[in-house]
Amino acid sequence: MKTLLTALLVAASAPALAGDHAYGPFPANYVSECGSCHVAFPPQLLTAPDWQAMMNVLDKHYGVDASLEAKPRAAIADFLQKNASRRQKHDGHASTVQAPRLTQTAWFRKEHGNLPATATTTLPAAAQCESCHTAAERGDYNESSLKRPAGFSRKER
Amino acid sequence: MKTLITALLVLATGSAHALNAAEYQSGLAAAAKSAEPGFAGFSAQRGENFYRSTHGGDWSCATCHTDNPAASGTHTVTKKAVKPLAPAANPARFTDVDKIEKWFKRNCNDVLKRACTPREQGDFIAYLLTVK
Repeated sequence: MKTLLTALLVAASAPALAGDHAYGPFPANYVSECGSCHVAFPPQLLTAPDWQAMMNVLDKHYGVDASLEAKPRAAIADFLQKNASRRQKHDGHASTVQAPRLTQTAWFRKEHGNLPATATTTLPAAAQCESCHTAAERGDYNESSLKRPAGFSRKER
Repeated sequence: MKTLITALLVLATGSAHALNAAEYQSGLAAAAKSAEPGFAGFSAQRGENFYRSTHGGDWSCATCHTDNPAASGTHTVTKKAVKPLAPAANPARFTDVDKIEKWFKRNCNDVLKRACTPREQGDFIAYLLTVK
């Protein structure tokens, strides 16, 4: 009985973790809150100041309102701070006037060349990860699950 | 001891009774009555007009949820799939009050640049409930 009670207590109090993810595990609310409009981006791909700047203006989130209640907002901000990158190549250049851009970091540009910010007739927008990374939902960005659009080859990068 | 276990089970699994769209709508009716003295019930027709209107901006509800709320949609910015909005096509819709309030707040700001009134929300649900 004591074991059952302990198990139930753990179920009720521990933060739920969401499934298998190559960069995870992610807290369940990170996936449900940040992964409903776009892929739940790996927190390791921006720096702590970038994530902080982003979380400060969720009501003006790249042109849409992504506001959260105080409690989930604080938990997600904490998770992002703890897992942020410390490398220069992941600097998203957040400033007081500009939101950080994961798709403008030195690392992203090296990997993705000149993918446009908004979709064209032949290329997806840089932030539309799943257009090419068909298993991005699970954090799998390997070549094996990659479907490059016609007209975007390594040579063009 | 039994009571404690039941309490913990409820905590762990969520409330025993799930909300549905019609129940949430009846709460909106009370709010609409106090906000508008002449309130005479929700209208699915008004809700449909609301759903399709861009309200003076660039987007309508249909921009992401498509002309048919029973169909899957696409986020207009990110192209991520959006599950059907009509409860007949997606029974998980309107079953969690936190989610309902969060998305009304966000999406009304995006489409109307203001909060939606209780009557607008009730009309909207009335329309969605007619979609089979």
